[in-house]
Amino acid sequence: MGEADQETLYATICREVMLEKQLTGHKVDRSICAWFWEQSISQGEFVKLPPVIASPTHYLFQIVREGITFLACTQVEMPPLMGIEFLSRVADVLSDYLGGLNEDLIKDNFVIVYELLDEMIDNGFPLTTELNILREMIAPPNFVNKVLSVVTGNTSNVSNTLPGATASCVPWRTADLKHASNEVYVDLVEEIDAIISRDGALVKCDVYGEVQVNSSLSGLPDLTLSFANPSVLNDARFHPCVRFRPWESHQILSFVPPDGQFKLMTYRIKKLKNTPIYVKPQLSSDAGTCRITVLVGIRNDPGKTIDSLMVHFQLPPCVTSADLTSNHGTVNILANKTCSWSIGRIPKDKAPSMSGTLVLEAGLERLHTFPTFKVDFKIMGVALSGLQIDKLDIKNLPNRPYKGFRALTQAGEYEVRS
Amino acid sequence: MAPPAQSQRSQSPSQPSGKGEVSDLKVQLRQLAGSRAPGTDDSKRELFKKVISYMTVGIDVSSLFSEMVMCSATSDIVLKKMCYLYVGNYAKGNPDLALLTINFLQKDCRDEDPMIRGLALRSLCSLRVENLVEYLVGPLGSGLQDHNSYVRMVAAIGVLKLYHISSSSCIDADFPSALKALMLNDPDAQVVANCLSALQEIWSLEASTSEEASREREALLSKPVIYYFLNRIKDFSEWAQCLVLDLVGKYVPSDSSEIFDIMNLLEDRLQHANGAVVLATIKVFLHLTLSMTDVHQQVYERIKAPLLTLVSSGSQELSYAVLSHLHLLVMRAPILFSSDYKHFYCQYNEPSYVKKLKLEMLTAVANESNTYEIVTELCEYVANIDVSIARESIHAVGKIALQQYDVNAIVDRLLQFLEMEKDYVTAETLVLVKDLLRKYPQWSHDCIAVVGNISSKNVQEPKAKAALIWMLGEYSLDMSDAPYILESLVENWEDEHSAEVRLHLLTAVLKCFLRRPPETQKALGAALAAGLADSHQDVHDRALFYYRLLQYNVSVAERVVNPPKQAVSVFADTQSSEIKDRIFDEFNSLSVLYQKVLSL
Repeated sequence: MGEADQETLYATICREVMLEKQLTGHKVDRSICAWFWEQSISQGEFVKLPPVIASPTHYLFQIVREGITFLACTQVEMPPLMGIEFLSRVADVLSDYLGGLNEDLIKDNFVIVYELLDEMIDNGFPLTTELNILREMIAPPNFVNKVLSVVTGNTSNVSNTLPGATASCVPWRTADLKHASNEVYVDLVEEIDAIISRDGALVKCDVYGEVQVNSSLSGLPDLTLSFANPSVLNDARFHPCVRFRPWESHQILSFVPPDGQFKLMTYRIKKLKNTPIYVKPQLSSDAGTCRITVLVGIRNDPGKTIDSLMVHFQLPPCVTSADLTSNHGTVNILANKTCSWSIGRIPKDKAPSMSGTLVLEAGLERLHTFPTFKVDFKIMGVALSGLQIDKLDIKNLPNRPYKGFRALTQAGEYEVRS
Repeated sequence: MAPPAQSQRSQSPSQPSGKGEVSDLKVQLRQLAGSRAPGTDDSKRELFKKVISYMTVGIDVSSLFSEMVMCSATSDIVLKKMCYLYVGNYAKGNPDLALLTINFLQKDCRDEDPMIRGLALRSLCSLRVENLVEYLVGPLGSGLQDHNSYVRMVAAIGVLKLYHISSSSCIDADFPSALKALMLNDPDAQVVANCLSALQEIWSLEASTSEEASREREALLSKPVIYYFLNRIKDFSEWAQCLVLDLVGKYVPSDSSEIFDIMNLLEDRLQHANGAVVLATIKVFLHLTLSMTDVHQQVYERIKAPLLTLVSSGSQELSYAVLSHLHLLVMRAPILFSSDYKHFYCQYNEPSYVKKLKLEMLTAVANESNTYEIVTELCEYVANIDVSIARESIHAVGKIALQQYDVNAIVDRLLQFLEMEKDYVTAETLVLVKDLLRKYPQWSHDCIAVVGNISSKNVQEPKAKAALIWMLGEYSLDMSDAPYILESLVENWEDEHSAEVRLHLLTAVLKCFLRRPPETQKALGAALAAGLADSHQDVHDRALFYYRLLQYNVSVAERVVNPPKQAVSVFADTQSSEIKDRIFDEFNSLSVLYQKVLSL
C-alpha cells in the first residue's frame, strides 16, 4: 500500500478492546481506541460516526458488524475502499470460521483469530483472504474437528501440506475436492429500495440482486449459467472466477466455482414500475390529538405469498403518547418511541389496518412533522425483477449432480411517506 | 503436584484478572517445559491460550518470557504460532532473552514443512531487535530462493521488515536487487506482488539519499515493467490488483493508442466484485484520459453504472466511501449526472453525513428538466426530524433557485416554509429569501407580503434576524409596518447580543428614515444614540459615521446608504476550482473523503 505503511487492527465491542494486532514496526498505542470511543459518544448515537475518521495521529477505518467494531489505523495515505473492503473481508472470514460474530465467540477463539490475521495480512499488506485457501491452512474450530482429533490423536489444526489451491491455476478452488453427494444450489436474492410519496406515487424504486451459489461438487467442474432475459440487467459485477468473454458476447456466466457458498454476481435492474404492496397512511389532526390509520394490502400480486410483513415508524418528538390497535397482527411501541406493527401474512378475508390516536404535546394544535413508515417483507419463490435463470450446465463431472434453484425478494430500504 | 487452588477460579481464558494468575502460569509452564508426557501439548496449548489472552487484554505477561521459550520446543504448529506471537510482542523489551529464541527460529527456517519455514521466517523478521539483525540475513537469503512459493512470499515481505529495522544491513546484503529479480521472474503472482510492495517502499525511502534507488523507482514506471504487470493482472489477488492499478495510474503512456490498449485490457476490472479494484480502475481510466476530452466524457458514462451500483448495494461503510468519490465526480461534471438524480435521493434511515453529501449532489445536478422533481423531493426533507438536514435542504432549495431554474415555483415553496411555523425553518428561509431578493429583486412584492407577517419575536437566530432587518430597511416603502417594527427592535437594543444584528439595524433604520422620514425619526434618534453608546467598536463607528453624514449632508447619506443597486449575479462562496482539481488528482485516496488536499 505504498509508502511507510503502519497499521494496526482492533476488534472491539462496547468500549472493551477484545483483540489487537500490531502489523508493522510502528506500534500504535491502545489509547487510540479511547480517542475513538470519545468521538463516538460525543456524536450522540454511535452508528452515525463516518467509516473513515482522522484522529490527531492516525486515520481510522471502522466497520460495525453485529455490534462489534473493527478498527484499522494507518498513518499513511491509502485508497479508502481498500481499507473498508479489507475490514469487511476480515469480518466475513471470522464470521464464517467462528459460526457467527459475537463477543464470546471471539474471546474463546483468540488463537484462531490471530492465526487468521497472520495469514490475511502481513506488514500492513493484505495477503490471503480467500476462504477456501484459508480453510486449508487453518482448520475451523468446529465440532467435527474436535471429534476427529479425539479419534486420530492428531490435535494440530493445521495440515502439514500447503493448500493445493496455491499451486493450482484456479486459486479459489483446491484441485482434488471430493464430495459424497454432488449438489449445487443457485439462489436469486433481490432487494427493493423504494420511496413512496404520500399520494401513493412511486418516487424512486431500485432493485438490487445477488446470484448466490452453494456448490458441493467434486473435482474441477466447469459451470455455465444463462438467463432467459439478461436484458433487464443494468449493471453486473462478478466473482473473480467468472470468465469475462462469454458474458461480454452472449451474457453467459462461465466459471469454475469455489467450494461452498459464494456470491457469483451482483446486479442492478433497469426499472421496476410496480411495487407488490401498498401502504396507505392517513393522519388527521384536530385540537391536540391526531388520528392515524394505516392500511396495507396487495397491489400487484407477485404470485407468491408475501411474508414477514412489518411496518415500523418513529413517533415524532412532539407526540407524548399513542394508543394504537390493529385488526391483524400485533402492534408494539418501544420506549424510544418506535412503533412496529408485525403483520406476517396478509389474510385473504380482510385488509390489515392499524388505527389509533396520537396525543400531541401541550399547546400544539396539529401535527407538523409526519413520520416515515419503513416496510419490511419477504417474498419467497419470486424475483420481482422478472430475471429468470434459463439453464445451468455442468461439465467435468462423472455423475449427474443435483441442481436446486430458488428465488427470494425482500424489502431493502422501503419507505412510505405520510 | 496439585495445581495451586487459585488457578481453578478462572477456567475460561476469557476472564483473566491479575498478577496472581501470571505467577501461576509461570509455575505451570515451567512444569511442562521439559515434559514429554502424552497430553503435554494439550496442556501447553491451554496455557499458551491463557497467556495470549492475557496479553491481548493488556495484562503484562513479559515475565513469562523464558518459560515460553522453553516450551516452544514442539512440533505442533499451533503452539509454535502462539509462542512466536508472544515472542514477537515482547522481544523488543527483552533483547537478551530474544537471543534464546533465535536458535529455535533458525532451526525452524530449515524445517521440512514449508508452512513452518514460512512461519519461522515471518516471526524472525518480526522480532525487531537491532542486534539480532545478523541472524536474519542468512535465512532471508535462503527464503528468497526457497522452492516453495509460500516461503518466498514471506521472505519478500521479510526483506522490507529487515529494512525497517536496519536499512544498511538490507542494502548491504543486496536484497533489493534480489527482490527485483524475483518480481520480474517469479511464476507465483503473490510473490511478485509482495516484491513490488516491498520494493516500492524501500526505493521511496532510499530515493532521497541514493541516486540508484530513485532511478529504480522511475524504472518501475517504464513501459516493459508496466506491461509486464498489466499482462499478468488477472493472476493477482484482488488486493495485489489494487497495488498494480495504483502503479499503472502513475504511468504516462506515450500515445493514444497505448491509452486505448491499456483501457481495453482493464475494462473487465470494472466488473470485479471487490469495490476497491473497481475504484482503482476508475482512477486509472480518469487519469489516462484527462487530456482527451471526448474520451474522458465517455469514461464518465462508462463508470457511472458500477459506481451507482456500489453506492446502493454495498455495506453502509462502502457506500459512504464510494459516495464521496461520486460526489467529487458529480461536482466536476454535473451535467453528465443530471439524469441520475434519483439515485441521490435520501432514504430516511441514512446517517446524516451521507444525506449531506447527497444534498450537495442534488443541488449540483439540478437543471431545467429535473428541477421541479428535485425541489419537490428537497421540500420533503425540510419536514425531516433531523434539524441539520432540514436546514441543509432549505439551503439546497435556495441554491437551486439562485441557479435560475424555475425560480417562480421555488419562491412559492420558500414562502410555504415560512408558514410551517418552525423556528429553524423560518430562520433559514429568511436568510434565503434575502439572498434571492438580492438576485431577483422582481420577486420582492410576493416575498414581502409573506415576510411582513412574520413577527420579529419569532425570529431569534442572528443571521435570520439580520436578514429580516435588511429586508425591512430595503423594502421599507412596501412594508407598511417597517418603521414601527424597527422602532420596537431598537427599543430592545440592550437585549440584542449579536453585533451583526445591531449593525444591520443601524443601516436599516437609516434607510427607512431616508424613505419615510416622519415615521422613522424617533427610531433613528434612539438608534443613533444607542449605537454611539455601544461597546462594540464597529457598531459605535458606524453610528458615529451615520450621525456625521446626516449632519453634513442628507443627500450624501442617501447615496451612501441607498445607492441604486444592481442585482447580484454570482455569489462568491463556492469552493475554488483549483482545489477541486487537486482533489480530483487524488481520486481513490483519503483526501476525497475529507475534501481536503493531501498535505505534502
